Amino acid sequence: MTTAQRLVITAWSAVSPYGIGRKSFVDGVVTGAPTVTELDQERWQGPSGRGCLVPGFEIREVLGAKGTRKMDRVTALVVSTVGQLLADGGIGTGEDTALVLGSTMGSAQSIMDFTKDVLVRELPYLVDPAKMPNSVMNCAAGACAIWHGLKGPNTTLAGGQAAGLMALDYARRLLIHDRAAKVLVGAAEEYSAERAWLDRHSWPAETPDRVLGEGCAVLLVETADRALPASGRAPLAEVLATESRVYLEGDPSKVLVACVRSVLARAGVEADEVWAAVPSSVGDRGRDEREVVRSLFGSEVVDRVPTGDVLGDTGAASAALRIAAVLSVAEHSPEAAGKVALVTSADRYGTVACSLLRLA
Amino acid sequence: MAQRVVLTGLGVVSSIGFGPEEFAAGLRAGRSGARPISVFDTTGFEYANGCEVVGFDPAEWLRVTDPADLGRASQFSVAAARMAVRDAGLDERQLADKRGLVSVGTTDGEAVDLEALLETSLNRGSAAMDGQVARRAPATMLSLAIARELGLSNVSAYTIATACSAGNYALGDGFDAVRSGEVDFALCGGADAMCRKTFAGFYRLGTIAPDCCRPFDADRQGILTGEGAGLLVLESLDSARARGARIYAEVLGYGLNCDAYHQVAPNQESIERCMRLALADAGVKPHEVDLISAHGTGTQANDVTETRAIRGLYGDRPPRTISVKSMLGHTMGAASALGAIACALAITHGFIPPTINHRSSDPECEIDCVPNVSVEADLRVVQNNGLAFGGNNASVILGKYSEKEFAS
Amino acid sequence: MTIENTDTTTVSPERAARIKTVVCEILEIGEDEVTETSLFIEDHEADSLRAIEILASLEKEFGVVIDQAELPRMVNLRGVHQVTAESAGW
Repeated sequence: MTTAQRLVITAWSAVSPYGIGRKSFVDGVVTGAPTVTELDQERWQGPSGRGCLVPGFEIREVLGAKGTRKMDRVTALVVSTVGQLLADGGIGTGEDTALVLGSTMGSAQSIMDFTKDVLVRELPYLVDPAKMPNSVMNCAAGACAIWHGLKGPNTTLAGGQAAGLMALDYARRLLIHDRAAKVLVGAAEEYSAERAWLDRHSWPAETPDRVLGEGCAVLLVETADRALPASGRAPLAEVLATESRVYLEGDPSKVLVACVRSVLARAGVEADEVWAAVPSSVGDRGRDEREVVRSLFGSEVVDRVPTGDVLGDTGAASAALRIAAVLSVAEHSPEAAGKVALVTSADRYGTVACSLLRLA
Repeated sequence: MAQRVVLTGLGVVSSIGFGPEEFAAGLRAGRSGARPISVFDTTGFEYANGCEVVGFDPAEWLRVTDPADLGRASQFSVAAARMAVRDAGLDERQLADKRGLVSVGTTDGEAVDLEALLETSLNRGSAAMDGQVARRAPATMLSLAIARELGLSNVSAYTIATACSAGNYALGDGFDAVRSGEVDFALCGGADAMCRKTFAGFYRLGTIAPDCCRPFDADRQGILTGEGAGLLVLESLDSARARGARIYAEVLGYGLNCDAYHQVAPNQESIERCMRLALADAGVKPHEVDLISAHGTGTQANDVTETRAIRGLYGDRPPRTISVKSMLGHTMGAASALGAIACALAITHGFIPPTINHRSSDPECEIDCVPNVSVEADLRVVQNNGLAFGGNNASVILGKYSEKEFAS
Repeated sequence: MTIENTDTTTVSPERAARIKTVVCEILEIGEDEVTETSLFIEDHEADSLRAIEILASLEKEFGVVIDQAELPRMVNLRGVHQVTAESAGW
């Protein structure tokens, strides 16, 4: 490995409550239209009647009937997002292409549905064998590899809202150690009744003003010396530094400050050079996070990228979707070229993370 | 300049013993962890043996965390981590001043808790779920619990959920992080607690053995599910030398790939490619490998496919190829971590752990599985395989430490 | 090897149609593509997981339990008819 290798994002896509594909995401970020809807209570028997769902995301309609019979929602979100990204850029796959995916626990709904047969059927082993892979957390990444022919390293990281940033840091290691030529890095979360119930019971005090969302964002990350000559893909941003840490007490603020200072120092960037600072968590820790980021960088910098709250709490997808939001704003802001953006996260379980990007 | 990476601490929670000494003794003796499953109700299954961890008291290992705030897999994970750090002769407070990586692989995370929540939900409605159990259910806890318990804030804490090869995935990432100098230490491995849904799933697929696990045997009938945790301390050779640490083995390299073929069926060609990647990364030639710790689940499909892949790469005289799953059962996310620990202990103590329960070799599995009785051996290079659902393959190469860097 | 009495399964046309629907959905093929004797694995690209899935789906469809030891007989629709009928006591 060499320390001189620069990492660049050369493509991205998202499937979110704004819609399917990159264009709908960019439009959604720019207009900031609300995405919360009343949920069909017959279909989504969760604790709340509202959610931010991907509109029209019926798996068989989006991906076709073949190969989707037992596919769960989070897997479909990933397969579809990666499909959009590859198709947009005419990007090939194979042995040199890795996938690194952040997730809370795969599909909580699939795990519960599969386990339910153990508990309620007349014999405990009368489970649906075809759904066993869905009850394991790496289902989405494995299925996406099959669907799109991704034969490089295939990693699922179980994290909270910071999962997308952790995935980005993990992908950096894969690239600088030459374990893949390019890495699809992202994170996904589905809306499901079971997830909503787990969330409700985990964080009862936070729940009243929180709406759950869902989505998936995926970035194509490669080294600068490979991206351009090999494919002609122009960088959209350079990943300057990414880091995650653990906060041991209830308040993430101190550790988040240390984490932010560390990435700034490693990238050789002064705090006043940061053009956009984008917190990505929601709930109480998200409020702590926002205060920290605002106090470090000021309101103008924090407000540069519209808040992600309109997508609801997108769980493990949160930070990845905020990176996509930064790239969306940059696309519409000629003055963004060459500027530095910081995406942060402080999840409820104990991780803080941040990533520093230089926009192309 | 890439640093050499060595293993200096091992932590083990397993059905055949706790800690590296007991574990090594169990491996050498060919001890079996199989027993009737007691951690969940097995009513309705015609047979239900498994390799449970017995006599584990989380309170022995937890100082700051309330055991009730952690699921069983996280408890295993923390216990093995504390053991590994202690075994490495490291002071937890000194560790807190260093930059580190904590990475724990898992298949099922806290699926035991999810089942308990579901049971509540079915009996009393979803509104009656227990919040404490819900909060400890996300798999991210397996690594965060270690950081919290050991007081490590300046670490990246990853839970790698690549199913049954996750331990090797974690080890590989730790190797890269230490090698490049971006962290001072890595605490890596895997953990899983036995759960009924996975047992039921494998049972449904016809891959649970009625009595015991017989890898590479002509009459093998499948896996036994197991549980436990294996955590390893990785540091640079310079760091280990500077503090006079005992070195179990050197990590020489690893390989990762994905079949992109089938969610559950293994793929020979892809497994072979994964092992080739690992050898190339380690700078090792096939003839230099002295032992393979196979994924070796004891199912029809795995053992024949993996053996063929090994012969595809190593030719007609492959190195001796064992399966510690014959003793430990399939410990899922912990499996390749415990396998790596077994390899490190084998190198250190100069023996090859046996593949127990062996009666007659399967002519389709043309390897020497070191049946039933361990043998003395001077091991220089050992390969540890992990294969998983989703086609997630990972192979790690360990070498005997010597001052002179390994070179083919 | 015993010769099985293959032509006396007592599967009604209605049940046969339900079985065919289950099988074709799992194999992701049209109902006109499968015959009584076409082989799931060799002719319809099934694998062992699909075979177990067929067994599981028939159990659910007809409320019966089929011994997994019968899987080797369930290679085509005819075999499936026999095994299902025997398991259900039709």
